[in-house]
Amino acid sequence: MEIEASKSAGNGAVGIGLSPLSETLWREKTNTEIVGDVSARLTWKDLTVMVSLSNGEVQKVLEGLTGYAEPGTFTALMGPSGSGKSTLLDALSSRLASNAFLSGTILLNGRKTKLSFGAAAYVTQDDNLIGTLTVRETIAYSARLRLPDKMPWEEKRALIESTIIEMGLQDCADTVIGNWHLRGISGGEKRRVSIAIEILMRPRLLFLDEPTSGLDSASAFFVTQTLRALSRDGRTVIASIHQPSSEVFELFDQLYLLSGGKTVYFGQASEAYEFFAQAGFPCPALRNPSDHFLRCINSDFDKVKATLKGSMKLRFETSDDPLERITTAEAIRTLIDFYRSSQHCYAALEKVEEISKFKGTVLDLGGSQASFFMQAFTLTKRSFVNMSRDFGYYWLRLVIYVVVTICIGTIYLNVGTGYNSILARGSCASFVFGFVTFMSIGGFPSFAEDMKVFHRERLNGHYGVGSFVISNTISAMPFLILITFLSGTICYFMVRLHPGFEHYLFFVLCLYASVTVVESLMMAIASVVPNFLMGIIIGAGIQGIFMLVSGYFRLPNDIPKPFWRYPMSYISFHFWALQGQYQNDLLGLSFDNQSPILPKLPGDYILKVVFQIDLNRSKWVNLSVLFSMIVIYRLIFIITIKINEDVTPWIRGYIARRRMQQKNGIVNTTVAPDGLTQSPSLRSYVANHTTKTSRR
Amino acid sequence: MTMEIEAAGGSHSHGGGGGDGLRRGEERGTYLVWEDLTVVLPNFTDGPTKRLLNGLRGYAEPGRIMAIMGPSGSGKSTLLDTLAGRLSKNVVMTGNIFFNGKKRKLGYGDVAYVTQEDILLGTLTVRETISYSAQLRLPSSMTKDELDSIVDATILEMGLQDCADRLIGNWHLRGISGGEKKRLSVAVEILTRPRLLFLDEPTSGLDSASAFFVIQTLRNVARDGRTVVSSIHQPSSEVFALFDDLFLLSGGEAVYFGEARMAVQFFAEASFPCPSRRNPSDHFLRCINSDFDIVTATLKGSLRIRDIPESSDPFMNLATAQIKSTLIEKYRSSKYASRVKARIREISTIEGLEVENEKGDRASWFKQLSTLTRRSFVNMCRDVGYYWLRIIIYVIVSVCVGTIYFDVGTSYTAIFARGACGGFITGFMTFMTIGGFPSFIEEMKMFYRERLNGYYGVTVFILSNFISSFPFLVSISVVSGTITFYMVKYRLEFSRYVFFCLNIFGCISVIEGLMMVVASLVPNFLMGIITGAGIIGIMMMTSGFFRLLPDLPKPFWRYPISYLSYGSWALQGAYKNDLIGLEFDPMIPGMPRLSGEYVITNMYGIPINHSKWWDLTALMLLVLLYRILFFVVLKFKERASPLLQTIFAKKTLQHLQRRPSFRTIPSISSKRHQPLHSLSSQEGLNSPLN
Repeated sequence: MEIEASKSAGNGAVGIGLSPLSETLWREKTNTEIVGDVSARLTWKDLTVMVSLSNGEVQKVLEGLTGYAEPGTFTALMGPSGSGKSTLLDALSSRLASNAFLSGTILLNGRKTKLSFGAAAYVTQDDNLIGTLTVRETIAYSARLRLPDKMPWEEKRALIESTIIEMGLQDCADTVIGNWHLRGISGGEKRRVSIAIEILMRPRLLFLDEPTSGLDSASAFFVTQTLRALSRDGRTVIASIHQPSSEVFELFDQLYLLSGGKTVYFGQASEAYEFFAQAGFPCPALRNPSDHFLRCINSDFDKVKATLKGSMKLRFETSDDPLERITTAEAIRTLIDFYRSSQHCYAALEKVEEISKFKGTVLDLGGSQASFFMQAFTLTKRSFVNMSRDFGYYWLRLVIYVVVTICIGTIYLNVGTGYNSILARGSCASFVFGFVTFMSIGGFPSFAEDMKVFHRERLNGHYGVGSFVISNTISAMPFLILITFLSGTICYFMVRLHPGFEHYLFFVLCLYASVTVVESLMMAIASVVPNFLMGIIIGAGIQGIFMLVSGYFRLPNDIPKPFWRYPMSYISFHFWALQGQYQNDLLGLSFDNQSPILPKLPGDYILKVVFQIDLNRSKWVNLSVLFSMIVIYRLIFIITIKINEDVTPWIRGYIARRRMQQKNGIVNTTVAPDGLTQSPSLRSYVANHTTKTSRR
Repeated sequence: MTMEIEAAGGSHSHGGGGGDGLRRGEERGTYLVWEDLTVVLPNFTDGPTKRLLNGLRGYAEPGRIMAIMGPSGSGKSTLLDTLAGRLSKNVVMTGNIFFNGKKRKLGYGDVAYVTQEDILLGTLTVRETISYSAQLRLPSSMTKDELDSIVDATILEMGLQDCADRLIGNWHLRGISGGEKKRLSVAVEILTRPRLLFLDEPTSGLDSASAFFVIQTLRNVARDGRTVVSSIHQPSSEVFALFDDLFLLSGGEAVYFGEARMAVQFFAEASFPCPSRRNPSDHFLRCINSDFDIVTATLKGSLRIRDIPESSDPFMNLATAQIKSTLIEKYRSSKYASRVKARIREISTIEGLEVENEKGDRASWFKQLSTLTRRSFVNMCRDVGYYWLRIIIYVIVSVCVGTIYFDVGTSYTAIFARGACGGFITGFMTFMTIGGFPSFIEEMKMFYRERLNGYYGVTVFILSNFISSFPFLVSISVVSGTITFYMVKYRLEFSRYVFFCLNIFGCISVIEGLMMVVASLVPNFLMGIITGAGIIGIMMMTSGFFRLLPDLPKPFWRYPISYLSYGSWALQGAYKNDLIGLEFDPMIPGMPRLSGEYVITNMYGIPINHSKWWDLTALMLLVLLYRILFFVVLKFKERASPLLQTIFAKKTLQHLQRRPSFRTIPSISSKRHQPLHSLSSQEGLNSPLN
């Protein structure tokens, strides 16, 4: 009765449930003229999640949960830390980590479907946004990345504007988001931008992981209010919430209270107050009900009390609070038992049955609807804008490069063709290609930020790895050309290297290729080690070894053959760059000998005898090897991402399953009629990455 | 009316009397009173002057715990800083602060102040942290047993007994929880039994159980007769119920001051009653947080807000700015305000209470040095990233260098190879020292905090750091020196080997010192690495390897720079050590063999008129020079920058006096306030740049 009343009230507020814009969008998606009921009804029954830990233990994280979420309602998952809120959210959005096993039924519109990108959106707890873009730009680029190409720009813009208004972002629409050196929008606004990006595709089902944590009360209220407004639009909104304030709590429709993976309460949020009172834990006056609920079911309070009693300092004021008399663990047990036999539990079961029978529309749609070229184009543009606005990305490096090359230029000023200048030319080239390219490491932090955004968008299926790599390569090109052109010119003309335009061009091109190789190398490293410090150390170490075998510190023929000469010196890009540049610089010049009486030394003699360069290979061949290295490193980057996405989770899942089988004998009988459902691989990949980075 | 106050006063004095024998001697509490407190952030340009606090009046009593509450930017932290005497020098304060009826300026270290950020050494256990702190600050006359008993009592008092022997944890070590860290920070501060304890948002970032625990222990501390003042942001219901007094601020003005329990009544009397199913503190903040106006306006503007829960929210049709001003008005004329006045008068008449100065009573200089050295050594031993990682890297690089130059010989090309090997070792390998930078920055943070609390001096810190790092630096140089020396087969004489190792030691120590100077000058980690790498790059270029010393342009590069560069001294020494006395094959077979002296003077352009030991001495002098520079920088920062800020503030005062009235615009935010971040971003460094 009560529940039905709530539903009709909800629908009454909704009206038709779809705004005209989302209607066109969904018509496009479903390929039908008549948009039927595209609302999402989610039910879950006897949901159990087991996680196999690395030490071989198997832990039940969720136990026999049953519940539902209807369109037009805002469901809040609440519970103390570690109660399984996030796991439930992950299980419902099929984003569980690969070592978690799920049993039970999750039905969307009465069908068993894997939730795909687009139909459901997931907003994570941390806002990985590009700090240099404005709010409007962020949303617009995201729209162009994902909306179908065919859609006219006018419509897209209308969609973007309506999203901005819907999320209440109109006041800060043209403010930059901000990063470590740019002051931008507030935390609450950032959170709303994250939500705005996810609701662009007008998903019918929205999951949010702790959207209010870290926000002050006004921003938390604002975020929750917008979520409620979204749900009133006919969407199904499920969010996990940690310690809501009183105002925020009042905005919830449905409340799912968890403790230790078990249901403590599921039903209307406004009736929870009554439920606790009936169970013998009435909420005292002047208390936030949610604070009270969490106080009752948070077993950490037992520990607190025990420790306080142990320290003998506690002078407990006697009160009529029943919680002072019994432990929280007992309270939790009482509440769980009480819920099992309560009308709320039966009503929920009934409702689940009812909803499951109704077979609704299949909301199974692919992720981005934009074509590959559109994605690559948009990404290139976005990344270019970001690079030109982020001071630390390339501009800082440009300044450093110019300073360093001026230093080099003055030290080797007008090097000439004396006897000493033979070595000076050699060391000048080695310093330019060794240490100057080394400075490319400076862009690593900005690139690491970029990667975070990429992981989030990749996880939500905004675009593919291919378009990311291509766009990154293209957008970086103008900057790298500018940097190398400027610093190369300074160096070339101050030192007065081998005159002639062709020689100048070769020098600049060689520098460009080397810098780009370092850039690609750092990208490949970033995909393997997400930790910033480790990345820098590993990058520096690899470059150090490359430098050592480049033929400058030790002459090529003297390098020990087995390992250092073959393959290491051939892998080292410094080797190719130096071979090319020595030829470019020395061939055709002649130098003074040790004493003026002796004949002059020709360049090719020096190359052969002093530097031991292979003159049979043209310098252009060396340059093309450098360029092919760029391609190889980019390919390695793509491959490592692909491996991380597909292979690693599969292996991890396999190991976990094996471990469970060893533990339980036969898994399939103990777990579920449906067997073990594996989650899509992406989630675990990104989850691992984010936990790794956040641990830093 | 007066009855109630007396009753309240009576109850807390009983509470204070109930303490146990832990306290040293008979203590009397500290009464803190402030009147007409105004803090102004001057603005030199034509912009408006910000009033951070406006005419506040209040008091804090022993045995009670007071909460300073208000929305973000309301001046909570400013009030706390003002009372604790930690106000930054660029703001101007007027008004009176009395300690036990006497006006006294508090210096650093007189009161305990727990900052929002927990700065602790992650590699120490809880007990170690407390006991090192105790040894640093408690008088040297105390015996070990006395110290231990104080440490144990503090651990027990803060409820840390369960995690006493666990590590605190850092970015690669999993350690104690956030609530435990916070309680540890409090424990360190209450070691010296301060009568006054200030805390800046001790619960932010904690979940409800840990927040409750922290405040409960603070309440116990207060009940021991101490005065506890804490700012707090959005307390949960249980936490709020633990506070005795409440100071409610909004835009720098007092909305309410008095007993926390009575605040509900005050709001009801001001016709904004708290609904029964609400946390009072949420309600208060809802009433005075003008951000809600913006939220409401935006929500209305977006036309999306189809249902507004009017039932529970009486404020939707009344702007919070209005409510706030009504409340401030009501409070000024209320009985609560007059009670406060009466109570202040009463406290002021309490005679003879002295805040004794405990400054003379602390650990001796030598004890501080030995304690700090031990602590720093333990930290270096346990932190993998500090030295161990570097030792591993050095071994790997040395093996690489050793295999590449294996048994270098005396052929013609070996001349250059020997030079390059020396250049690579002094140049690139010392470069790797940068890897210890993050760990050093952590230690610097610790130093700044403890220095601010007046635990020890700059000299002690620098000396202790040098002594404790000495064994590590020696082992690094011996390990990598031995590997390269014997693999490359330089000349196998012991004295040359010793010189070789000493040379590497000198290089590494110079860079270590250099990075310390950089760390003290540069705001963040990334800038530090870039600056350090740049300086090292320039030193390498002028060291005489990439360009021969005589060929370096004279004006700048040769004359000051190459002499300041550690590289040129190290390289000169290394060449002399290696080449003198050797003979090499000539370029063209048949010509006379080249002597080492000839190679050094003619091919490397290095004069051999002074011995290699002079080069080493110069290197060691550079080591010393950088440490002194580090000392000077730290001293300068401490002395000069506050002085500059004071001058700035004085000038501003004059500037203000010329303007008859400065506009009063409610403050936007104090400088120190930072927006709240999610828990994950607080725990790990979300951006690598911080």
